[in-house]
Amino acid sequence: MRNDIADRRAETGESQADLAAAVGVTRQTINAIERERYDPSLELAFALAAHFDCRIEDIFEPAE
Amino acid sequence: MSEHTASATTRPSTRKRYKRIAYGLLGAGIAALFVAIALDRFVLGVALYWAGGLGMGLVQRFSPVELYDERDSTIDRKASQVTLNVFAYVFVLGLPGGLVLAETGAVTLPGWFHGATWTLFAIYVVYGVAVGYHKYRS
Repeated sequence: MRNDIADRRAETGESQADLAAAVGVTRQTINAIERERYDPSLELAFALAAHFDCRIEDIFEPAE
Repeated sequence: MSEHTASATTRPSTRKRYKRIAYGLLGAGIAALFVAIALDRFVLGVALYWAGGLGMGLVQRFSPVELYDERDSTIDRKASQVTLNVFAYVFVLGLPGGLVLAETGAVTLPGWFHGATWTLFAIYVVYGVAVGYHKYRS
């Protein structure tokens, strides 16, 4: 799935490790999501949305 | 969800530490086995090896954080499926092929061939039971 997590991190000045720590996964998982090589579970998607204070669909959109 | 997010602040570093402990225990057990074999203390070596494996299991079971995240689980599931597929081909094609070659006298099958066959058979029986169980549960 396409996502704008990298952009959101850039806005907040967070590293991948910071975000990973905040949502309880490894930095490698955040990296894989940003590179669109891994689609997160609903639970993680909700955690990411809560972290960025937005809705899941604001972050993710299906790849065509 | 907020609990999930808030309590996760120190998780990765803690997870890494516990993973190192878990794999360290297993590694120590394996090393102890080889050292004990070299010193002709095989029983002691096996005991230490088991202790290392048990220690790893206990750390994984009782660590205060989950040692593997969801991507690890996904990778593990995909790798398991690939492994089962690869050995399905070996089992389906290799076993009859080997038996035919033995029957025609082209080769004499070694003892390990039959052992490997029964091992693969057992794996797929367990796999079938596991699939049935999870189908029943979901």
